[in-house]
Amino acid sequence: MKIQEIMSTKVESILPTSTLRRAAQKMSQLDIGSLPIISDDGTLVGIITDRDISCFAVAMGHDPNSTEIQKVMTKEVFTCFDDQDISEAANLMEKKHIRRLTVVNHDNNVVGLLSVDDLARSSHDLAGAVLEAATPIH
Amino acid sequence: MKIQEIMSAKVQTISPDATTKEAARLMHDQHIGSLPVISAEGELLGIITDRDICCKVVATGRDAGWTKVNEVMHKDIATCFDDQEIGDAAELMTNQHIRRLAILSRDNSMTGFLSVDDLAHGSHDLAGSVLVATNPVH
Repeated sequence: MKIQEIMSTKVESILPTSTLRRAAQKMSQLDIGSLPIISDDGTLVGIITDRDISCFAVAMGHDPNSTEIQKVMTKEVFTCFDDQDISEAANLMEKKHIRRLTVVNHDNNVVGLLSVDDLARSSHDLAGAVLEAATPIH
Repeated sequence: MKIQEIMSAKVQTISPDATTKEAARLMHDQHIGSLPVISAEGELLGIITDRDICCKVVATGRDAGWTKVNEVMHKDIATCFDDQEIGDAAELMTNQHIRRLAILSRDNSMTGFLSVDDLAHGSHDLAGSVLVATNPVH
């Protein structure tokens, strides 16, 4: 099965110069846990999660009303192509101990997001293996 | 397989009067995503997650240094006994659309925590089915 058949295509992104509070608002309103960060010229420059906002920004005392996302975002973004097989995505998640991938097409545009939840709808077993390998967060 | 064989037994807790900034710091330092909230008398009052701090504190513009844990915690927390089967825990998570349970001994004291990640160590299939049944947060 191809990644594009099960990925989430509702891709919301945010600018690196937006504030942490704006990112938190967006995640809360859209009921999502991560946002790809895309610069003015359309380049994928990072990713930020709800956990980054609470456990890094808040814990370290950064003011979310004034701190820009680019100060705390993860710059290393793991991607896969939309026409790859879902088992390749699962392998990459397992190897990197992560639960989400940004999906790009062959023109390098972000076209979707693939989470372990999306995987679970196609294969309990692949999703379970990803969870077992993921960095434990209880 | 019994819950006690795969649960996380070392449970870090927090007081309801602690600030959400302190909770964020503890989650960061301990690499965890949630904390059971325990009163001075040892009673389990609720649970707070990294996402709660992002969505209920940062997104709404509250100051994490002043907002207390009891203002944003979830008060209804599902529990299981540590000698129950992991299939029972998975069923409870599936029916209640949740991904974490507080685990009690038969004398009702809290002995651990069971997340869908822990479940994956016992059964990929059970963990995958819980993911499908619970709210996807991408």
